[in-house]
Amino acid sequence: MTRLLTILAVLAVVTGACAGAPPSTTGGGTSPAPSAAAKPTYGGTVTFVLENDVVDFDPLKSRAFVDRNIYYQIYDSLVRIDETGKIIAWLATKWEPSADGKSVTFTLRDDVTYHDGTKFDADSVKWNIERYIKTAGSQRAGELSSVDTVEVVNPTTVKFNLKSPFSPLVANLVDRASMMVSRKAFEAIGNPDDFTRKAFKAGSGPFMITEAIKDDHMTLEKNPSWWGKDKDGNKLPYLDKITVKPITNSDTRFTNLRTGDAQVSNNISGKDVPTARSESSLTYQERPALSFRSLIPNRAAGFVFNDKRYVKAVALAIDRAQLLEKGYFNLGAVGYGTIAPAHFAFDASFKPFEKADPEAAKKLVQEVGKPLSFELLVSAGDPATLTIATLIKDQLQKADIVADIQQLEFAKILELQSAHTFKGLTFVGWSGRIDPDGNTYDHIYTKRPFNDSSYSNAEVDKLLDEQRATSDQDKRKTALRKAEQIYVVDDPARIWLGFGAAQLLTSKKVNAPPIYPDQIIRFQFMSMAAK
Amino acid sequence: MTQYIARRLLLMLPVALLVTIVVFVLLRLSPGDPLVIYAGEERDPVALAALRVEYGLDRSMPEQYVSWITHALQGDLGRSLRTRQPVLESIVERLPATLELGIAALLLSVTIAMVVGTLSAVRRNSPLDLLATGFTLAGVSLPNFFLGLLLILVLSLAIRIFPPGGYTALREDVWENVRHLILPAITLATASMAVNMRQVRSSLLETFGQDYMRTARAKGLRETTVVVRHALKNALIPVVTIVGLQVGAIIEGAIITEQIFSWPGIGKLAVDSINGRDYPVVQAVVLVSALSFMASTLIVDVLYAWLDPRISYSGQRS
Repeated sequence: MTRLLTILAVLAVVTGACAGAPPSTTGGGTSPAPSAAAKPTYGGTVTFVLENDVVDFDPLKSRAFVDRNIYYQIYDSLVRIDETGKIIAWLATKWEPSADGKSVTFTLRDDVTYHDGTKFDADSVKWNIERYIKTAGSQRAGELSSVDTVEVVNPTTVKFNLKSPFSPLVANLVDRASMMVSRKAFEAIGNPDDFTRKAFKAGSGPFMITEAIKDDHMTLEKNPSWWGKDKDGNKLPYLDKITVKPITNSDTRFTNLRTGDAQVSNNISGKDVPTARSESSLTYQERPALSFRSLIPNRAAGFVFNDKRYVKAVALAIDRAQLLEKGYFNLGAVGYGTIAPAHFAFDASFKPFEKADPEAAKKLVQEVGKPLSFELLVSAGDPATLTIATLIKDQLQKADIVADIQQLEFAKILELQSAHTFKGLTFVGWSGRIDPDGNTYDHIYTKRPFNDSSYSNAEVDKLLDEQRATSDQDKRKTALRKAEQIYVVDDPARIWLGFGAAQLLTSKKVNAPPIYPDQIIRFQFMSMAAK
Repeated sequence: MTQYIARRLLLMLPVALLVTIVVFVLLRLSPGDPLVIYAGEERDPVALAALRVEYGLDRSMPEQYVSWITHALQGDLGRSLRTRQPVLESIVERLPATLELGIAALLLSVTIAMVVGTLSAVRRNSPLDLLATGFTLAGVSLPNFFLGLLLILVLSLAIRIFPPGGYTALREDVWENVRHLILPAITLATASMAVNMRQVRSSLLETFGQDYMRTARAKGLRETTVVVRHALKNALIPVVTIVGLQVGAIIEGAIITEQIFSWPGIGKLAVDSINGRDYPVVQAVVLVSALSFMASTLIVDVLYAWLDPRISYSGQRS
C-alpha cells in the first residue's frame, strides 16, 4: 500500500512539475508540419528582419529579447514549449522530481551532437549549468538560483539537486538557462568576450550560425544532422539558410516584407496590422502572448503612491478597452495582472477593473483627503507611448486625477526606476515567461530585482513562496490567484493594462510555422511554398 | 608649406585631446547608467555589480579617463560595453559602409552641382536656371529624414524599384550593393547638392564679371573654353571650401540617413552607442570624426594654394 501511495505521489509530482505540462516521452522536435495544407519542400533561403541586432551569442550573457529569436535556431534546451505553451521534451526526453521535491532527474537524448561534432551528454549538461551558475556576471544565475549541484548519473542521466523544492525549475529551463553550448567550442575561443561575439558551431540546434556582421546581417545555415523530425517522420529543418537582417525601424521592417525584400518578421507595429492582414502577398498570424503591460507606481515611503488607495484609484479610472483600441490598435488583450491567458493559473473571470469607474476613483481620492496629482514618465521620442500616456491622462481627468506627462530619456527613466526615486508612475512592459512565477515573483516579492514599485506585502510574499514550494498544480494555482487578488486589487503593486500579442508576418512564398506565445519563431518548421 | 602642414598637424593633438576630455565628461554627466540600459528588462543586481567592476565603471571619473587615454595612445580603444567587440574593430568594420555612402553621395552631389550650377550660371534666368533655383530651395529645405521616407514611399513601396533599407556588401553582390545604395545616397546628397549648386552658380557669376574673363573673350576664345578653363577654376575656391567641409562631415552627415535606411555604418553605430551610453564607442567615434574633420580642413587649406597661386602659407607671395 505504501509503495502504491509512493508511486501515485511520484506520478502526481511528475505531472505537476512542469507547470501543467506532462512531460512528453517522445522526441522534442516532433511537431506539426509547417502549415495545414502545405506539403513541406526542402531547400530555400529566407530573409528574416529582426527588430535589433543580437549583441550576445552566449546565452550566459544574454539580456535582450531579440537574442532569443536567434538562440532558438542555434541552441537546444533541455525542455521547450509547444504552440499552446505546454512544456515538452527536447534534449531531455523525460524528467522526474524526487518525492521531497529537492531534486529533478533528467533523461537525455543520446543522438545529439553539437555543430562542432562533439557529442552532447550528461557531462555537457553539468558543465553548462555550472558555468551559468558560477560565472561572475552570469545573467542566468538568477534563473538557476534554486540549483545547488548537478550530478552526472550516467551519460544520459543527470540530476539537479536543489537548495529547496522549487516547482518552476523545469519552466525556467525552457529558455536560455538550459541552452547547451559545446564546451570544446567555448574553450577553443578562450576569451568569453570573443566567444559571445563568435559562438560559431557552439550549439546543437536546427541551424548553425556561420556569419555575424554587426548591425548588418547574420547567416544561419541548416544543421543537416539535427535530430528533430516532423509529424510524418521527415527530417527537420526544411530550409537551407536564413539571412537575418537587424532593422530597428518598424516601418522599414514592414516595408521590407511588403516589397518582398524580406519574408519573415515577428514584430509589427499595431498601426500596420490592418495592412498586414489585407496585403495579398503576406500572411499575418497573431495569438495572445505571455507578455504584460503595466504602469509602475513608486510605492516607497515619501512618495505619493505610498498610499495604496491612490494606486487603486488610478486602476479604477483607467479604461483598458479604450487603451487597447486607440493606443495599442487592438494588438493584444485587456488584462489586469501578471498571469497571462496561456498560463495554467489564468483565471478568465478575474476582471477587477472591467469597466472604468471614475466615480469610484474619485471617492477613493476623497477618502485620502488630498487631490491626486503625479508625474507620468514617458520615454522621449516614443510617439506610440506618448499617445497611450495622453489617453491615460484624459481618462484620469474624468476622475479629477491629474497626470503630468514628463518626457525623459529612456535611460534616465530606467535609472530612476532602478533607484526607486521616480515620483509618480512609469510605463514598463515584460516580455513574459512560460510559468506564471516568472511573470510574478521578481516583480512583486519584497526587494526582488524587478520590484521597481518597492512593493512589499507579507501575505503576498508568503503565497508566492508557497506556490514555489509545492508541485501540486492546483495548490499553486490557488496560491497564485490569491496573491493576484491582493497585489492587483486589495493592495495594488502596479496598474496592469493588458497582455501583449505574439505576431508572425510571413511572405506567401513560405509556409509559415505555427505561432508560439513566447513570440519566438520556430524556423525548423518553416519551408518554402510550392511554386 | 611643409612647415605649415607640420604646424597644423601638431595643433591637432591638443584639439583632439580636448575633444576626448569634453566627450568623456559629457557622456558621464548625461543621464542613464549604461549597464542598466543593457540589462533591459533583466536587471539582476548581482550580475550588474560584477559587470560594473569588470568594465571599470566602479572607479572615479579621472581614473577612468586616465586608463582610457593611456590605452588609446597605445592604439587600444577598449571594448564596447554593449557588444564586447573591440572598439577599433567595430569602427573598422563599419567604416567601409559609411565611406561608400559618403563618397557616393559626395560624387553625386558634386557632379550634379557642377554641371547644373555651371549651366544655370551660363544661362542665367533661363527656365533651367529657375528650375535649378527651385531645386536648391527645396533641397536645403527638405530634412533628410523626410526625404528618405518620401523616397521609400515612392520608389520602394509604390514603384518597387529599390529596397527600402538594408545593405549588401560590395564584395558579396555588386548589383545588390548598388540597389541598396541609391536611395540613401540620393537622400544624403540632396541637401549638399543644393548648397553646392548654389555656390557654383553664384561663384561663377561673380567670376564672369572679372577683367580676366573679358580679356579671355577679347582674345577670341570659345565660350566653353572661357567658362571651363578660365571661370570654373577660379570659381572653385569657395566650392572647395564647402565640399572640403562636407568630406570632413561624412560621418556626422550620414547619421540620420544611416538610421532611416538601416545602413550599417559609423553613423548608425554612433546613434546606437549614444542611446546605449556605450562610452568607449562614442568616445572613439567622436575622436575619429573630429580627426577626419581636422584632416579635411587641412587638405582644403592645402588645395587653396594649388587652386590659387596667390595664396601662400610661407608668408611670402609666390
